[in-house]
Amino acid sequence: MNAQDQIAFYLTGRTSISGGAQSSLEPFDRSYHPALFARYGDLTSLRYDYPMVLNSQGDLDRALLSLSGLVDEAVESLADDPVRDRIARHGYELEREIRSELSSNTMATAAGHNDFAVLWESAAKRLAQKDPNTVDSAKRLWAMFNANGELAHVDFAMPARVTKHVWNAVQGSKAKTFRKEIERLLLKLHGILKAELASSEEGRAPKRLEASMGTAFAGAFDFDVMSEVLVRAKPGVRISDDRRKRITLLIDVLEHQRFFPVSKEVAPYEFVFYRCATAVEAYKARRSEGMELLKALEIARLEVNGEYRESAEYAADGRLDHTALFEDFGLEHLDAGVLSALPDYLLCKYTSELDAEETLQIVDALSSGLPIKVLLQTDDLFEPSQTQTRLTNEERQSGLASRSRFVIEAAIASNDVFVMQASASHLFDSKDSLQRGFTYSGPAIFSVFSGVNAHARGIAPYLVAAAAVESRAFPTILYDPSSGAVWANRFSLDGNPNREAAWPEHSFDYEDESLQTHSEDLTFTFADFLALDERFSRHFAIVPKAEWNSGMTSVPKALSGNSSNSTNRLPNSIPSITVVGARNNLARAILDRQALEATRRCEERWHTLQELGGIHNSYAERAAAHFEEQLAAALAKAQVAPANAAQATAQTPASVAPQSTPIAAEEPAAAKEVRGNDPYIETPRCTSCNECTQVNNKMFAYNDEKQAYIADANAGTYRQLVEAAEGCQVSIIHPGKPKNPKEPGLEDLMKRAEPFM
Amino acid sequence: MNTITNNSMPTAPGLASANNALLELYKEQYELEDYQKGVPRWCSGCGDNAILTAVQRLCRDEALAPEKTVFVSGIGCSSRFPHYMNTYGVHSLHGRALPIAEGIRLARPDLKVFVNMGDGDCFSIGAAHWVHAVRYNMNMLAMVHDNNIYGLTKKQASPTSPKGLKTNTTPRGAYLDALNPLTVTLGIANVSFVAQVVDWIPKLLYQTLSEAYHHPGFSFVRIIQRCPEWLPTHLDEYLRDPERVLLLTHDNGLTLDTDLTKRYTKIEEHDPSDIHRAREVASGSDPIPVGILYRNENVPRYEETRSDTRLRTSALIRKGLEAEFDKFTIWPKGHQPQHA
Repeated sequence: MNAQDQIAFYLTGRTSISGGAQSSLEPFDRSYHPALFARYGDLTSLRYDYPMVLNSQGDLDRALLSLSGLVDEAVESLADDPVRDRIARHGYELEREIRSELSSNTMATAAGHNDFAVLWESAAKRLAQKDPNTVDSAKRLWAMFNANGELAHVDFAMPARVTKHVWNAVQGSKAKTFRKEIERLLLKLHGILKAELASSEEGRAPKRLEASMGTAFAGAFDFDVMSEVLVRAKPGVRISDDRRKRITLLIDVLEHQRFFPVSKEVAPYEFVFYRCATAVEAYKARRSEGMELLKALEIARLEVNGEYRESAEYAADGRLDHTALFEDFGLEHLDAGVLSALPDYLLCKYTSELDAEETLQIVDALSSGLPIKVLLQTDDLFEPSQTQTRLTNEERQSGLASRSRFVIEAAIASNDVFVMQASASHLFDSKDSLQRGFTYSGPAIFSVFSGVNAHARGIAPYLVAAAAVESRAFPTILYDPSSGAVWANRFSLDGNPNREAAWPEHSFDYEDESLQTHSEDLTFTFADFLALDERFSRHFAIVPKAEWNSGMTSVPKALSGNSSNSTNRLPNSIPSITVVGARNNLARAILDRQALEATRRCEERWHTLQELGGIHNSYAERAAAHFEEQLAAALAKAQVAPANAAQATAQTPASVAPQSTPIAAEEPAAAKEVRGNDPYIETPRCTSCNECTQVNNKMFAYNDEKQAYIADANAGTYRQLVEAAEGCQVSIIHPGKPKNPKEPGLEDLMKRAEPFM
Repeated sequence: MNTITNNSMPTAPGLASANNALLELYKEQYELEDYQKGVPRWCSGCGDNAILTAVQRLCRDEALAPEKTVFVSGIGCSSRFPHYMNTYGVHSLHGRALPIAEGIRLARPDLKVFVNMGDGDCFSIGAAHWVHAVRYNMNMLAMVHDNNIYGLTKKQASPTSPKGLKTNTTPRGAYLDALNPLTVTLGIANVSFVAQVVDWIPKLLYQTLSEAYHHPGFSFVRIIQRCPEWLPTHLDEYLRDPERVLLLTHDNGLTLDTDLTKRYTKIEEHDPSDIHRAREVASGSDPIPVGILYRNENVPRYEETRSDTRLRTSALIRKGLEAEFDKFTIWPKGHQPQHA
């Protein structure tokens, strides 16, 4: 019995029971994929957010751009250009060419040969062999892009490249403001010292005066006398020794700091780390130096404004003098805003390298509010946590993305850490969050799933990453403490598809044996995600079409029907997913109980997240039910009230249906457009009848809508313009004034042109 | 085993945001050139060119897969239409475009079917098919290129030639009043979509054809067109004077943009569900009513009530073809036809 085979598989995960007959089930081999993947055999023809341009030009908000987005923007700006469609087509072709280049040549990308300009130009050259106009289109598009940098495709290195790029962009803008301020202060501080020197005896020495005069008039002055006069005439400005010492020290600190060095001779500090301990050590080692720098900045500002109060001068008025104030100056006196002026520490970490000790160090660093930004990259969602390494695969499923999940949950719990979780496929979509995280004044963590998995049945990393989000295996999460004080403002699941539902649903089209198109809605569940991974193949079995029966049901239905408590009973129905085989043929795969239970756990985790995100929140639903009860009670009371109101509404006059009468146009007929002396065609009214193009096909051409326009008024004579106007069936050609006064028969032609002016 | 469709989805290309990128197919983009084939042999200035362009634009905008689209025509100038469309096409017999289109519709419901006929083709020799095609209400778009004359055979009177028109067959002028195809169509049982448009307002022509294409049922569109060769001035007065065209507009019909209403100021609000008013409007010829006269999506379609229940597998088709070939095969003694 075939149904028995299916039940046996569901319960035991085995296709053949020992001693039994040949099973009707077939193995779920490598050629099968979830049905919704059938459309994505060729990713290069899909227009999506990747590759991204890591733009090195322009503002921070243009740091990450999508190639498709750039092309669309450029094409949009070509609104009325007659060759808009040609350029758009070439733009799409160039995109496709670059995508296939990047995906076929991963070695080159890894080696850094992924400069946008180079790839764009080489793609244009290759496509120009087919259509020479491509070079022109590529040039015009490039001029409109206003972007350059590296291209990033979804691969192993992408999350770190993108994160570092945004971090660099944020640090770059920080450094710019910081350096500007330091340079301003240094100039002024040097100015104070120079002013003192210039008015001192040393500054007014004959030799110095002579040097400042230059050689042209050196003989005209007696510098000895001049020096004497100057020294006697005006006493020099003297600053106190303390102040001079202080200013010299300030200059020394500002010039030699390594956070944002102002001179090339000073080597900058490195702020990108790959081990948490090293990052924390570096932070500790530089803390006092950073403190000194911030202190120096504060004092320098007071100095250059002349507001610094020295103890000797100001002790009398009772106010605290600055010298005493700054002696006690420590980190506790600085708010987060001031501290965030210094660079942040970036820690890039693969979860596969994460041991228990380092996990705790990261959580500790984040919860202690260190200025640290952490990128946590997960490549395999099923990698075991440190304590799970000895468990079986099935047990590991419950620890889905367990290493990153622990850190993320701890970070959210510590309340003031910025947390973002996104799959590589959704990084572009989350670019605003990424920037917010890096500009956030406290610690931040970004957990990214790369989708690069050796067990993924040959499916592109982009698709694996996207499938992880679709299947709720790695949902998009954002926790932003800067968005407000309450949880509803801080926590968001907005980046997830169909976030209101348990699983996203998509329409799926296919053709049957008689070539008829059918469409059905398929859910993408965690079971589909498991089916992508070779390690779980044995939890699935293919049911041949002849064996399909009414006992097979979809995974969501199976989850709602079979509760986990009834595991000892025989199932009412066997869960199955729709898959496609190597020849794009539809098939169904049933799954065993372990896979179904893993799916249930994933669904329950998603429900918890939904509740946190305010979706189907049980507290809110309880409150709503309570309110409804109250409302029903109030309505029941109101029924005894007099029915006057109802009578009043009954007397309202019925509306009168409008008569079907001719209506006038809203605007009067517009005056003829005045275009000066140039010839023109009312292109939207052209009926494509070929009259004018047969007169002169260089002068008159069709646009992409196959409607005529004047391609080149100088490509023919005025006579041809007039003849075309006369021949035009709908009289939309206006010949304008002749350009060549020597053209024969001009007088007659102008007379003939009059009706068309 | 079922097979996944290779068809492209009928939507313009757009940037798929990462949220829906996974399940957003790359929408294959078609260009006008993808539907163009050959250089039309129509005279320059001919209204057929305008109809061809409008139809090609419609195909492009609806992203109709050329291999899933078929154009059927009869005989006449306009019936050369399938030659210039880079899709499947049948240039059939005089007056018989509609029954062939109906056969295609029954056998291959997955195809988009378009029919192009002239006024002589449809209203004269094909009149019986026209009446029944309207009654059968099978899902297709039928366009009648009505230039009031037989053009291909050099100027003979057609059923829509106005009274008094001098032609080779009526040298003293046509004796009878012209047939009004709109009132006839609106009088046939089961009529579901009737529209009239002129070839010299491209925007309206496109809009009307687009509405007709989306109508689920038999869409009858009469397109009044110029014949610059044989009746060069016949429609000039209508062409030059915007007041002699009456635009029909309604929320359920055509919505007109300001470019049109600036030029054509004679406008009537006409509800396409009102068949009585539609018949009144249809009986007028000056100004020419242009727009959707009647539309009813609830009329039953023949192919739904009478569709073939057999699965048209390649084996079945092959068997049918072999049986036909067998009829012409000379069998050696002792051998029998295998597919009879």
